[in-house]
Amino acid sequence: MGCRLVPVIAFCPNTTEVHIYKFFTDKWEKLHVLAKHDQIVSGIDWSRSSNKIVTVSHDRNSYVWTQEGQDWVPTLVILKLNRAALCVQWSPKENKFAVGSGAKSVSICYYEQENNWWISKVIRKKHESSVTSIAWHPNNIHLATTSTDGKCRVFSTIIKGVDTRGPHAGASVDWKFGELLVVLVTFSPIWMQQIAQLDLSPTWAFGVRWSPSGKTLAYAGHSSMIYFVDDVEGSPAVQNLALRDLPLRDILFVSEKMAIGVGFDCNPLIFAADETGLWSFVRYLDERKVTPSTSKASQLSEALGKLYGQSRQGSSSDTVEPSKPRGGAHENCITCIVPLRKGSESIVKRFSTSGLDGKIVVWDLENHITIPK
Amino acid sequence: MANTLRLYLTCIRNTLEAAMCLQNFPCQEVERHNKPEVELKTSPELLLNPVLICRNEAEKCLVETSINSIRISLKVKQADELENILAKKFLRFLSMRAEAFQVLRRKPVQGYDISFLITNYHCEDMHKHKLIDFIVQFMEDIDKEISELKLSVNTRGRLVATEFLKQFI
Repeated sequence: MGCRLVPVIAFCPNTTEVHIYKFFTDKWEKLHVLAKHDQIVSGIDWSRSSNKIVTVSHDRNSYVWTQEGQDWVPTLVILKLNRAALCVQWSPKENKFAVGSGAKSVSICYYEQENNWWISKVIRKKHESSVTSIAWHPNNIHLATTSTDGKCRVFSTIIKGVDTRGPHAGASVDWKFGELLVVLVTFSPIWMQQIAQLDLSPTWAFGVRWSPSGKTLAYAGHSSMIYFVDDVEGSPAVQNLALRDLPLRDILFVSEKMAIGVGFDCNPLIFAADETGLWSFVRYLDERKVTPSTSKASQLSEALGKLYGQSRQGSSSDTVEPSKPRGGAHENCITCIVPLRKGSESIVKRFSTSGLDGKIVVWDLENHITIPK
Repeated sequence: MANTLRLYLTCIRNTLEAAMCLQNFPCQEVERHNKPEVELKTSPELLLNPVLICRNEAEKCLVETSINSIRISLKVKQADELENILAKKFLRFLSMRAEAFQVLRRKPVQGYDISFLITNYHCEDMHKHKLIDFIVQFMEDIDKEISELKLSVNTRGRLVATEFLKQFI
């Protein structure tokens, strides 16, 4: 379900365990199994510089794993949640992490040196439904969340003693913890229109992400929409993009002007912005094998069959053609997309996707498409 | 007639294709529970609008979707009393063996003859397109099956009647 870093990778095989694999010259080998949770693990994040793994699970607990010698040692984090934890992410400075939960709340956890203990502060009563996805702004303070009530919210998470008012925070603005900055509602007229065709009603929001600079926020709606929001704190400018195919679950910005969306379509989608900042769908990343257009031929033969009094087609004309498997790298919904960076590159050239089909695929963008800066 | 059935099935297939976007979702009302939301209906925001696809009054298909489960209820064509009895018995036979079918519900939704319940776990274990194929195939076969049963019942009735009436000759 989650994945991270090459040549070492941590993922959950849709069970209560987290497996860590390492790539040895020609094959992947299992190094560790982190087994501490007693329900399915819903989120994993591996901090880049401090080398800590945080896992959250439906059993309402969270563990921070630190490497001591060869072993990974867990530390329990009391999340103060009474429902399942759904997603987790380290803040950019890796001194905090946020956990979204089914208790309609978000926990911000930080390490307290004196007590050698992880403390959590909870943002309560701001969400009307489960929090499906969270994303830290690069300034280490703003946190964006999406929820199954269809809304995307941005919070400020300043914690005394942890966050110093740096140049990023902006001296003139005084945010308090848990202060709700923006609520973005997906119930726009276009969305309504889209829904009327499908006859599906309220939608859920997933996969919120900030662009590398934090200028643009993107998230996906279950009504096969992707939303790009510029200038979130000032006057938000929203762009809705309706997709032709199935909804997205997760988004990754590879640069300021390009994003990759993954979801139920089992194939990553590329989105790009032009010079004016107008986002559009470019193409699927994984080229599908073009099947010969049998439908046209069958239509013709069907017409011929009609001409000959349907004697030729007979009973086969009332059967529906069985659907074909998708010929892509993934065969089931892609749930997670993680960038693979080397050093401090600003542009992501490689990333990995993991799906419910039990596959993790590493993609290299360089041979596929030019990434605008 | 054959063409309208194909349109009906294609419509159902496309609806299922779009609706079967399920994910693991723990209950947000009860602690440590993970149940199909379409059955519990505890949080209205987790349900989508149900879609009703009708071929005619006697044949319809209701697709109810939620975040982690989808329920498909079918009403099978029953032209006369005999078909009614046959459909009832046949579908009861299937419903009683629901475990073997995995996605079959033990009891149909009120007003329908048979219901399927597909959860995110089914979607994780099985191919989505195969699941949809199964439902559509089932709908195709059930009509054939019932008309065949009807024919055999009629034939048998006729035979029995002839045999019985022979003694009076």
